[in-house]
Amino acid sequence: MSGNIAVNLKPKVIHVRDLTARCYVLRVERLGMSFRAGQSITLGVRRMRVNREYTIYSGEQDNFFDVLIRDIQDGIVSPALRRCAPGEELECAGPYGSFVIEKPEDTSRRHLFVATGTGIAPFHAMARTHPNLNYRLLHGVRLLEERYDMADYANYVACVTGEQVGDFRGRVTDYLKQHPTDPQTICYLCGNGKMLSEAYDILRGQGVPSDQLHVEAFF
Amino acid sequence: MRVAISYPPIVNDLGQVAMVSQNRNVQYFVAPTYLLPVVHAQAATWLRDLGHEIYWDDGNAQGKSFDQWHRDLLAWKPQMVILESTTPVMKFYWRLIERLKKEMPDCILVLTGYHSMRRPDETMKECPVDIVLRSNHVDFVLRELVPFIAGHPNWRTSCKVDGLEIRESADRWRSTGTFKQVQPLDLSPDVDRDLVQWKSYAYENGNYLRTPGTYATSVIRDCTFGKCIFCRYNGPDLTFSTRSIEKSLDEYERLIEQYGVREIFDDSGVWYRGQQARQFCEGIIKRGLHKRGCYFGINTRFAYLDEETIRLMGEANFRFVLLGLEACDDATLEHLNKGYHVEDVRENLEWFTKYGMHPHLTVMVGYYWQTQEQLDKSVATVRELMFKGLARTLQVTLCTPLDFTPYHMECIEKGVLLTNDYNDFDMSKLIVKTPIPHERYYEAIRQMYGVAFHPKFILRQLAFLASGHARDWEFLFSYGWRALRRVRQHVFNLTKARELTPPK
Ligand SMILES: Cc1cc2nc3c(=O)[nH]c(=O)nc-3n(C[C@H](O)[C@H](O)[C@H](O)COP(=O)(O)OP(=O)(O)OC[C@H]3O[C@@H](n4cnc5c(N)ncnc54)[C@H](O)[C@@H]3O)c2cc1C
Ligand code: SF4
Repeated sequence: MSGNIAVNLKPKVIHVRDLTARCYVLRVERLGMSFRAGQSITLGVRRMRVNREYTIYSGEQDNFFDVLIRDIQDGIVSPALRRCAPGEELECAGPYGSFVIEKPEDTSRRHLFVATGTGIAPFHAMARTHPNLNYRLLHGVRLLEERYDMADYANYVACVTGEQVGDFRGRVTDYLKQHPTDPQTICYLCGNGKMLSEAYDILRGQGVPSDQLHVEAFF
Repeated sequence: MRVAISYPPIVNDLGQVAMVSQNRNVQYFVAPTYLLPVVHAQAATWLRDLGHEIYWDDGNAQGKSFDQWHRDLLAWKPQMVILESTTPVMKFYWRLIERLKKEMPDCILVLTGYHSMRRPDETMKECPVDIVLRSNHVDFVLRELVPFIAGHPNWRTSCKVDGLEIRESADRWRSTGTFKQVQPLDLSPDVDRDLVQWKSYAYENGNYLRTPGTYATSVIRDCTFGKCIFCRYNGPDLTFSTRSIEKSLDEYERLIEQYGVREIFDDSGVWYRGQQARQFCEGIIKRGLHKRGCYFGINTRFAYLDEETIRLMGEANFRFVLLGLEACDDATLEHLNKGYHVEDVRENLEWFTKYGMHPHLTVMVGYYWQTQEQLDKSVATVRELMFKGLARTLQVTLCTPLDFTPYHMECIEKGVLLTNDYNDFDMSKLIVKTPIPHERYYEAIRQMYGVAFHPKFILRQLAFLASGHARDWEFLFSYGWRALRRVRQHVFNLTKARELTPPK
């Protein structure tokens, strides 16, 4: 229950910023749509008649929308959006979802953000929107180059599986097992279903109440 | 433990039976439609696999009267009865639970369903139920709960399984917190067809063109989209989880080979999309299941499946595609959070029909803001789509706020609800204030259903025969007849609608 009523818009592409061979940030006009950090929109290339959900990567105060997208080989929408030229009109609807911070102004509340890959998108929006937020972000990546815009975070831990470097070598779930979480922490998990499920079990096992666990699945 | 999973027959004063289960809107029908409650069926299978004795007790599908159902349940002497309810039948269930508790004081009564899941306190107050499930992942909760109760006589105070409201004493209960929303869905077993007496659901289902038909174990739990405001799959407590393609293909193969099933429907909120949808179709084709005389059907949404995926679905013998076309004006689609535009509809439908599928539209009218102009657009667009053959069948319902969905909450907040009596939420009449008289919406429904009798529609069906697809002949002669019967039923329900006036 978002609190916002969704709108259908036709924003123009501002630019595409390539981050890696497989990942990019698409910037589009915001056209006055209000949203809360952590919410998503649907995006589609015009006349393609197919759209997908993307979490807004930019902050509530930015006058554009950024989305962080993994370009899926043989995918439909994600490669098509990457090919868009500046000025091209897209189909956009939203905002949607309730994966938002409940009391961002309360800096005494400790947050743990756990993401894999592009699942970092909602946390980027949250960190940008609420600079005083008390949080730690665990980001599961295969390669170091996937630490997208890491300088934008106050407390970022890269859990790297494909290279012998990084803040932590191993999966986010390994990190969680080795660094038990204080049960008072409010936890937000975002990414693929398998990680969410495993991380959820670990955190429950460490005493984090289920009411303090928020989950957003991308696939 | 001896566990009954029970669906009592609920019959109204017109002799119509209520259809209750999962994310379905309760409606009363004389002509029966029996829908397998898939998640409860998985729960039954899982509990049986864990060594519990299961009584699959669907009084509706088993053709029992209420008294017969009741007698049989008591005679079986269950230690636990699991029931499922939704807004329009809450009062029935509260009274039933009261009665069962008196008759079987030691039996543990458990209520599942979206209404009580979102308002467990209300149900605790209204009836002596022992446990309310705060999760719709009934199979995952019960597989932890039932063994715990079996091994812990003091379970009322000691049970910590997530997702429950547990009664500790007559006037005290406690919550164990929300349940995990993301499940490794492959853990939950395929429905055991024999355990749930699959044949009692295999024939009387208006959506099957060929019988016996059955529901697959759903590939998606909840909905990947999950944003539409009237839908039970929209909630802060819900996301989605996915079953693996291979596991699902294995089930399809078994259903066709061992059970001789001729139509399989997957009732996931929305079925796979993109790569997964294509991989599933390729799997069907690789295993030769597309040539075994069995049709496949799914729910999807507009702007989800691309043409290439739809082409593959056609090749894999998909036939029935159920799509929600809740309105034909963008303002309403926006308000409903549908995430697609009116202009997506036509092209998506063209793809489905081009590759031989039979799109079925589920249309709704009667939103508290819906103007005559918006309503007229729905009627005109739906009639045009049907006349052009872009959709084959349709179902039109009155949008009814239910189960504390965002639409329900919005109706409460805006003060547009005309009744607080849950019995009135049975979709037989509008229960919200609207900008035009209610009769106009009922008339719109009649006009849309009237398409089925229109010469243009019938001629279009005849023209389809030229395609040479067996399904078009079957559609015209068997399914078409059943569809007409259903149309009569819907129109009958509307003429019986009792009007409500605003409460003083
Ligand atoms: C609420 C929500 C928010 C989302 N937010 C984002 C986001 O911010 N950024 C983003 O890139 N995607 C996001 N997604 C996923 C996105 O909607 C699409 O599924 C994805 O872009 C693939 O679409 P496609 O048409 O290109 O490929 P499809 O042909 O639909 O198939 C894609 C396949 O790729 C895999 N996949 C999907 N998304 C990802 C991903 N992000 N990383 C790795 N593998 C994936 C899945 O296995 C899927 O079956 C989100 C999904 C949801 C439900
Ligand atoms: S797409 Fe369908 S199942 Fe999904 S939320 Fe919307 S109405 Fe519900």
